[in-house]
Amino acid sequence: MTLVKEAPARPAKKRSAAPAAGRRGRRRENLAGYLFMSPWIAGFLLLTAGPMVASLYYAFTRYNLFTPPQWVGFENFTTMFQDPRWQKSVEVTLKYVVVATPLKLLLALGVALLLAQKRRGQGLYRAAFYMPSLIGASVSIGFVWRALFSDDAIVDRTQKIFGLDVGGWIGNPDYVIYALVALSVWQFGAPMVIFLAGLKQVPQELYEAAEMDGAGPLRRFWNVTLPMISPVLFFNVLLESIHAFQVFGSAYVVSNTSCGPADATLVYTCYLYQKGFKEAQMGFASAMAWTLVIAVALVTAVLFWSQKKWVHYEEAAK
Amino acid sequence: MTSATSPALRTANERRRTGSIAWHVGALVILAVVLYPVIWVVGASFKPSKDIIASLDLLPTKPVWANVSGLADGISGISIGSFFWNSLMYAVLAVVGVVVSSSLTAYAFAKIRFAGRNLLFTLMIGTLLLPYHVLLIPQYVLFRNLELTDTLVPLVAGKFLATEAFFVFLMVQFMRGLPKELDEAAKLDGCGHLRTYWSIVLPLSRPAIITSAIFTFINAWNDFMGPLIYLNTPEKYTVSLGLMMFRDQEGISNYGSMIAMSLVALVPVIAFFMAFQRYLIDGMATSGLKG
Amino acid sequence: MGTSRNVERRTILKAAGATAATLGLAATTGCGGGGGASSDGTVTIRYAWWGGEPRTIAIKKTIALFEKKYPKIKIKPEFTDYAAFWEKFQTQASGGNPPDVFQNAVGFLRKYDKRGILLDLKAQADAGNLSLENFRNGVLANGQVDGKQLGIPVGANTMALVIDLKAFKKAGVEAKMGWTWDEYFDALQTIQDKLKIAGDTGYHGIMYLYDLYLRQNGKAFFTDSDLGFTEDDLTQWWEDGYKRVKSGLVADPKKIEQVQPKSGLSAGLAASEFTWDNFSIRYEGEGESDYGLAPIPTMNGKDTGQYLGSLMLSAFSGTKHPKEVAQFISFMVHDPEVGKIMGYDRGILATTEQYDAFTPTDANNKGVKAYEEEVAKAGVLGKITPHPSGADVIEAAFLRIGGEVSQGKTKPADAAKALFSEAKAAFAG
Repeated sequence: MTLVKEAPARPAKKRSAAPAAGRRGRRRENLAGYLFMSPWIAGFLLLTAGPMVASLYYAFTRYNLFTPPQWVGFENFTTMFQDPRWQKSVEVTLKYVVVATPLKLLLALGVALLLAQKRRGQGLYRAAFYMPSLIGASVSIGFVWRALFSDDAIVDRTQKIFGLDVGGWIGNPDYVIYALVALSVWQFGAPMVIFLAGLKQVPQELYEAAEMDGAGPLRRFWNVTLPMISPVLFFNVLLESIHAFQVFGSAYVVSNTSCGPADATLVYTCYLYQKGFKEAQMGFASAMAWTLVIAVALVTAVLFWSQKKWVHYEEAAK
Repeated sequence: MTSATSPALRTANERRRTGSIAWHVGALVILAVVLYPVIWVVGASFKPSKDIIASLDLLPTKPVWANVSGLADGISGISIGSFFWNSLMYAVLAVVGVVVSSSLTAYAFAKIRFAGRNLLFTLMIGTLLLPYHVLLIPQYVLFRNLELTDTLVPLVAGKFLATEAFFVFLMVQFMRGLPKELDEAAKLDGCGHLRTYWSIVLPLSRPAIITSAIFTFINAWNDFMGPLIYLNTPEKYTVSLGLMMFRDQEGISNYGSMIAMSLVALVPVIAFFMAFQRYLIDGMATSGLKG
Repeated sequence: MGTSRNVERRTILKAAGATAATLGLAATTGCGGGGGASSDGTVTIRYAWWGGEPRTIAIKKTIALFEKKYPKIKIKPEFTDYAAFWEKFQTQASGGNPPDVFQNAVGFLRKYDKRGILLDLKAQADAGNLSLENFRNGVLANGQVDGKQLGIPVGANTMALVIDLKAFKKAGVEAKMGWTWDEYFDALQTIQDKLKIAGDTGYHGIMYLYDLYLRQNGKAFFTDSDLGFTEDDLTQWWEDGYKRVKSGLVADPKKIEQVQPKSGLSAGLAASEFTWDNFSIRYEGEGESDYGLAPIPTMNGKDTGQYLGSLMLSAFSGTKHPKEVAQFISFMVHDPEVGKIMGYDRGILATTEQYDAFTPTDANNKGVKAYEEEVAKAGVLGKITPHPSGADVIEAAFLRIGGEVSQGKTKPADAAKALFSEAKAAFAG
């Protein structure tokens, strides 16, 4: 009986020797599965699916939170696509995603490679590098960042050594987005830890074999490390892009809650938040949210599709 | 000894040494850049209030204690201890909730073959993509109708109901990587799923669980939006809301204490991290993040 | 197998019990909202306000006074900072759960009246639970909309020009009652030439100042339901502003931006800034110089366009205890002891009882008092003009778009067009 139950689902069908027991086993498995899942199912229906359906409905209404929602069809979407601030928020967000994500991942990978070497104090460095990921959401970081990127502060002074004088990034609409990027890159610790985990799992023999073949460090990285950690890289690219699309806290805090100056840090969720919670245009905000969901889903789909071309899975290779 | 060291060996040694020096120099440079802002916060806590905004110095020229000692008086008549206690309650309940519910759910996804599993799994991953702002108002209305506002329930209910898909995903990936032989052996011994979950899978998943616990603790500790919307009584406010009490309509009444408070607020997070950080890496490493 | 199933069920029950227990524990940490009357007839009222720590400490003292005098009414305080206050209020109000009494401002009256949130306090006044007597300078009218009394003013404030006294002295310029805009900008020019700092921090982004300017020209920022000026008016205002930014008369917006949340005036970037007079206390705390209140520049040498604005107390239309709420508001605006404790934190005290009870001792409060007396004596105080629903959103938009103009990111004409389009949406919302 236990044996039958244990058999993987598909072969179980073939094992017609004990069909009744198999059916009973499957029923038991179904029951157990749904029992274990029950918290998630309750949470999904109550806290996710219900509100989601509600917000999808709001997206097609005019809704100021007080008077009942009024059906307006696609009006919110057409207004949104023509809204210059919405366009601006898309532009800012795309810039942020495209610049911050690769920089952060490159740094994370570079430092992970450094830390993967067995050296004294390695654990200490690892913990210290992770620190920014812990405190990045703290309010005080907003103050720090504004101070560091102000005129004549450390970043500006360092820049001037190289002859670049922009007079501080925080107040300058053309540069402040890079202060946000810097804040994201500064928190490279989280993806770094994931890279380290991946690097740990690369079999040492592969390196040895490559070295025997006369491959230099660059070649070894390109031919061994990169393919071997590509699943981890994929995971990081996926999660970091999703996070970058949804960035809110750092823009809010660094811009002193204005998402400015001149809307220069008006990331998508910041505009969504202003529309929904400051101006009480819940219909518009919901339409924005669903547009973001679709955009992120598309990006995710493209990433999943592309992984066939560059992500190397152990199981697939076998 | 003199001539015994062959030139080849010597260069190899030297190379190793220069390599080691280069490694440490590189690591130290990164360390300096990474820690500079952290040191700035510490330094600012000891600067006179007027010097904090737009101050360019890393450390105070003349350290003052007033910011930190002033915290002992509390904020707006509420003791600092009260804020910390509330945050701690929230964070601990959140950790318990996430660990219990996510591991149960993850076990089902990873170890039980039941009808509809793939569909549910896709749905679960799909929830990762949702910006949470859009769910806020409908959720608020729900909890308000249940008369649960101004309690911790709206803040932790989602944690007890495994709505944090990231942690479920993390644990699923981890549990899938556990050797099949173990739970097969357990089945042979007549263990049901709950026994297998409790005495085999759960202990082995410790790294993933600790990773989730750390993240949950930190997220709950830093959470601002949730407490802001759901908590009304100032005595129930968390640290993140307490920090906002330094703000008034135009600017901030007391920069010094605000910075000092934000520094103190970081201490539990850092302590929690330090205590568990070695598991964090293992948790990530063994999650098998293999897609 | 039978046993294993039992184990399973038992353990699940246990786990479920544990979960329920934890949730139950969580539930008991909250004691539920106020609103109910307990068996001994004690009534609990929720009272919410925004403000910094000094205000909160003062208000808590006044609540203690009230509870001593009305032992059957308990007050449950709720407070946050300004920005969070209105987000929270909106969320609570939309869920039918706003506080019973709350601090309010002119710009929000019509908005929440339109949404049916505000209690008309006239009925309570007629019933003798709330006194509408003894309000100074007609500020009671600030809380009236369409014949309803939706708010009871606690204080009165007016727009003012805050100046860096040392800088003005050093440059040898003086601010005097009735000076014109030309004289004002000439003074700033002198300051710029002599001291190498800007004259102003960015006047053209302040909606309430533009309102005064329009009032000086026989218009106003708002009518009952629309904007009271044309796109061309605003284009002109912003073109002038941008010209002065470029010439350095108005401080570099990049610098102003990066010292926030500190003011550009207290950071020493400019010598003057327009703001509400009761906010002037912040400059002493933030900056190194001495600061004082100066008159608003005029068109014709006399009319400043000023009026008294107000913070006020409003009540929720759905409160279960309208009588107690009215008694509470009445106490808070009339009791002399409360006036002594609150001082001018929310503007100059609105009723004569409280005004007479408080004598300012510090320089800042003395200055505020002297300023309002001077303005009143000059006879320039006008009646407040309407603030339609959406005024709060438009104020934020005005500041933001004005900032874009300063930064050279938007042309004044386009900026004016953008403001009009956003205003339209705000009025509709």
